Amino acid sequence: MGDKNTLLAVLQYLEKHNLKGTSDLLRKEANLGEETSSLQCPQSDSDVSSMLAAYKSEGDPEKYEEAYADLKRFVEGALDIYKYELGMILYPVLVHMYLELLFNDHEDQAKRLMEKFGPDQEEYFQEDLKKLSHVCKKDHLKGNELTDTFKSNEFIIRMSRDTLSILKRHLSEKKHSVVQNIIQEHLYLDMYEGVARNKQQIDATSGAMIGEASRADNKARVYYGLLKEPDVSNAAIEEEEDDEEGGDKPKKKKSKKDHLYPKKSKSDPNAPPVDRMPLPELKEAELREKAKALRDGSKRVNLGPDTLPSICCYTLLNANHSVTCAEISEDSSLLAVGFNDSFIKVWSLVPQKLRSMKSADQLQDIDREADDVLARMMDDRSSEACRTLLGHSGPVYRVAFSPDRQLLLSCSEDSSIRLWSLLTWSCVVCYKGHTYPVWDVRFAQHGYYFATGGHDKTARLWATDQHQPLRIFAGHYSDVDCVQFHPNSNYLASGSSDRTVRLWDCVTGCQVRLMTGHKGHVLCLCFSVEGRFLASAGADSRILLWDLAHGHLLAELCSHTASILSLAFSREGSILVSGSTDCTVKVWDFTKLAETMALEDVNISHNPDIKKDSDTFLLRSYATKNSPILNLHFTRRNLLLAVGLFDSQS
Amino acid sequence: MSESDMYGTTLSQESIKVIAETIGVPNLPDEAAKELAEDVSYRLKIIIQDAAKFMFHAKRQKLSTTDIDAALKAKGVEPLYGFHTADHIPFRFASGGGRELHFIEEKELDLNELINGQLPKLPLDVTTRAHWLAIEGIQPTIPENPPPVSKDVQKLESVDPASKLAANAKDPSKSAAAKVQKPRNVETVHIKQLATHELSVEQQLYYKEITEACVGSDEARRTEALQSLAVDPGLHEMLPRMCTFIAEGVKVNVVQNNLAFLIYLMRMVKALLDNSTLFLEKYLHELLPSVVTCIVSKQLCQRPDSDNHWALRDFASRLLAQICRNFNTSTNNIQTRVTRMFSTALQDEKAPLSSLYGAIEGLSEIGAEVVKVFVIPRIKHLGERIEPALDSPTFSSVDRIAAGHIKHLLLKILPPIIKSMRSVPDIMEEYKAEYGYMGIPLHSAVLKVRATPQSPATGSGSSSTNSTNIAAAVPSGVITAAARPVGQLTGVTPTGVNRSIVVAGTSPSGAARQIVTTPTNSQQKYVIVTSRSNPVTPNQSPVVKLGSNQIVMVAGGNATASQSTAMGVKSVFVQQSQPTTIKIESSPSIKVEAPVSPSQNVSSPGALPQAFTDDDVLPLG
Repeated sequence: MGDKNTLLAVLQYLEKHNLKGTSDLLRKEANLGEETSSLQCPQSDSDVSSMLAAYKSEGDPEKYEEAYADLKRFVEGALDIYKYELGMILYPVLVHMYLELLFNDHEDQAKRLMEKFGPDQEEYFQEDLKKLSHVCKKDHLKGNELTDTFKSNEFIIRMSRDTLSILKRHLSEKKHSVVQNIIQEHLYLDMYEGVARNKQQIDATSGAMIGEASRADNKARVYYGLLKEPDVSNAAIEEEEDDEEGGDKPKKKKSKKDHLYPKKSKSDPNAPPVDRMPLPELKEAELREKAKALRDGSKRVNLGPDTLPSICCYTLLNANHSVTCAEISEDSSLLAVGFNDSFIKVWSLVPQKLRSMKSADQLQDIDREADDVLARMMDDRSSEACRTLLGHSGPVYRVAFSPDRQLLLSCSEDSSIRLWSLLTWSCVVCYKGHTYPVWDVRFAQHGYYFATGGHDKTARLWATDQHQPLRIFAGHYSDVDCVQFHPNSNYLASGSSDRTVRLWDCVTGCQVRLMTGHKGHVLCLCFSVEGRFLASAGADSRILLWDLAHGHLLAELCSHTASILSLAFSREGSILVSGSTDCTVKVWDFTKLAETMALEDVNISHNPDIKKDSDTFLLRSYATKNSPILNLHFTRRNLLLAVGLFDSQS
Repeated sequence: MSESDMYGTTLSQESIKVIAETIGVPNLPDEAAKELAEDVSYRLKIIIQDAAKFMFHAKRQKLSTTDIDAALKAKGVEPLYGFHTADHIPFRFASGGGRELHFIEEKELDLNELINGQLPKLPLDVTTRAHWLAIEGIQPTIPENPPPVSKDVQKLESVDPASKLAANAKDPSKSAAAKVQKPRNVETVHIKQLATHELSVEQQLYYKEITEACVGSDEARRTEALQSLAVDPGLHEMLPRMCTFIAEGVKVNVVQNNLAFLIYLMRMVKALLDNSTLFLEKYLHELLPSVVTCIVSKQLCQRPDSDNHWALRDFASRLLAQICRNFNTSTNNIQTRVTRMFSTALQDEKAPLSSLYGAIEGLSEIGAEVVKVFVIPRIKHLGERIEPALDSPTFSSVDRIAAGHIKHLLLKILPPIIKSMRSVPDIMEEYKAEYGYMGIPLHSAVLKVRATPQSPATGSGSSSTNSTNIAAAVPSGVITAAARPVGQLTGVTPTGVNRSIVVAGTSPSGAARQIVTTPTNSQQKYVIVTSRSNPVTPNQSPVVKLGSNQIVMVAGGNATASQSTAMGVKSVFVQQSQPTTIKIESSPSIKVEAPVSPSQNVSSPGALPQAFTDDDVLPLG
């Protein structure tokens, strides 16, 4: 029966869109007679109404206002300890009352209700209220993203046992069927044992489109530890011996080695099993690169409050409103910039120019056994300082370098993702799967996998050799604006316009963390070096710091005055930097922050205090000249590279 | 958010009806129009909402047509083709026949012109520029970085010096932390600590280099130095020194009649004025007297007959006008006071002709209204002063040249104003009766102006454009309208050259200024000569000081200073006077003092300027 219903629904859809041929074919194949077509008309009408039936109500439209005012009075009159927690129900009740009134064609009452009580709501809900207020007719309810979200999901509110019982008592006393119904139907009250929260605690985690995270959301275990680093000491020693031929202090280097390659024999208890997520084998060249990175890292300056980083700023000139994104490769040798005009430019940041591979004919002549075969493959005559990649047909919203620096990914408004080879400087693959513009693309730290997020509210996991996504992470209520891989490649974090940050398990495809607290779009994410913490920031110009172990909000850093576009941890993890459209780079003391966080007494139900004294953690703020910071990147030696976009018009 | 804008606006029914008419639906019922208006408004809002997402992701703050297109595309609607513009298109408004219309103006384009015309210049390619935003935590002051102390902060500090102390006291932990942060760079003075008056070694070197280059003989270096003064951020720490340098330099060189140095110093003033990162108000009490000296001083050069000190006077007048425009406020009343000072000089029966010229020029640069009030009533009197100098052979040629210049200047600035003041029949006798000696030439000039309709584009010089620009301004009010850049004495920007040449070209009369570029130096240097030569008659060097806004006229002694100018300049280096408050006096006055020997001025470098120590100065703020 269920199958038949599905088929009928598909048929209906086809009929509705006038796809006669397909519907006839389907009908024939499914052996459905013509008789079904007669059913269609009435059914398609009831289609909408059944979807919205949740709002069907015979209540007197005039009662709503009174009922809401009464609820508000009750909240305001409650004891101080319960007051704020009770206050959380005001917003969802208002929203659903409004939608209910609209659905029952009481437009004037709905409008009056919204005008009277809308402005009283919290600042961070005003944007959504404004969007709701645009909806002022029953017809508009159809296909509106926001009302659909409210209609089909329960608004989650966490409440202590005492608060909940007070609320229940009030509801049963007053017998406001309207409010009671709404709370029954559209609110999910997640009860917890303990003391009711105060205003600050509530404000810290509220703000998401559809309420807070329930306890169940963050129960799953997250293996936030790092994978064991591949043993590069062999490759490194080889390299080092090469170096030492010229060097005159070989002994000293040997003695340093323990420090250089810390023995990771004891694996991290929080690390996922190595075979949990199949990862690509490291190639020889990559091993060598890793060794080089390690050696480079040994010359690194350890940053702290006393040794602040040097910042080299690459300012893009003559690019008013045409640049959309910028990215620097892991080894800081390449800069890729995506443009509004759908092309990508790659600059070399080192004296070495960008060369392309020789043609197939020439490649045949090369001695494949030679040691320097890789170098020989490249055509020296083709070297250029800047190269352009053409292929997209819409603005390029993000580019990402592969860890081995040979591939580049880009995503665009044309809803495709393209993989470019930086050896031949041409497009290798075009991944199609997203149905709407793709906002973000990121490579996994181990390569091979990459993730995207887009306007279609999904984040997707891909592998470079598959043309279809491996996983589709659906759950966000609005655009997925940014994605970021966990350093162990087992998890993917995504930030969205629904003002939540979610963590997905790449292996199972499940959502393992839901973190609420942002008051605006989440635009950038960054995992801490040791993998335990996640920093997120966005349009609300605040940086939030999360503990992945339990999904708690740990700290809130606010000093920026405009959207934050970029976050980066220094290579040893002691400094967090943020770049923003307010044309500043701010440097935060992450060591101090991590020290003051009480991580030990944290468990699932107990929310730790949230650090809010941003001034004590802010080390410095550097202003640029009218240049919003698009990207921040620490080199292996901890020099901070910033990419700014000079705006000559303001 | 207030209650009223919760629901925002919707399209009006009238608009819908007008739109319906344009697509051939003549009588749309009200009900339908209302329904449509509501629905269309909703759809528009949704599309704009979505378009904002695209704007966000393109890292822009401004919604563009491409965003709307992208939003339409995402909704499955065909985007609007052909509506691309980089600029904002304003709505125009028209009314008539009882209807009001807003519309977008579309100009007709001639295709032939487009095809045959020059191709537009290619936009510059996107490039990257690498620079240090911070070096080990310290932000270097380079042009790529914003100035360390913004103009607003400088302004705040100049108005309210206590604010800085309060800010420091409020956040002791931060300033302490700042000190800890950089124990190594001891000589780099923390940029925010304005209270420390030591310049770092680098700054001292910079100061030395700049000042030497500005008054040195190498024109290329001077151009560079002036350029640096005009654009470099982070100069505000050195600003007090620079201003003292200029003030002292003017004092010394006016006494020694060293025209070239005065020009160099005025160019420094100009560069400082042009630097958008500096807030000069604190130092005006040093700059203003210097500039005014260069306008009204009796003698500015060794040979008043042949050297073109008139150009310096013009240039300084324009600087002064610029200062008035930029810094005049209701509390300091700079413009009123400057105007009053010039008019007093104009009233002075015994003022030398060159000073008169300066006063007239200064007034004319301030604006037409000022000229109307202060110069025009004096025309007759001025005529009486210049008539004998021009006509009788007993006067020296210096006076004759000066009188010629005054006459020429008057003929340049007055006709447009007189034209607007007087009604049409221009009767020669009335002019004669009212303006005396100047009556006849003014009459013909006014007739000429009336004959040629206003065409500011042709070379009528600065004064006519000036008067058209400023004519609307109230005499005492701040003149903000004039966007005309102050012409430069250098040839660095072409406008400066044009202006000078235009003046020479439009005044073909005898006392025309000739501006010759010397072939020996670089092309940026001017040597200014007049066509006649006369014996030198230096006797007095009046110095006008406006120390702390008090005007003191000093009739200097003989210009036989024993010190070389170089010495004078050097002595300025040592001077460390630090003005911390603005001293202001309610009514500026002009006093004539006993002659002060120049050596006295120079040999006491540590002393405060005399006017500084006067009793009737009131600290402000």
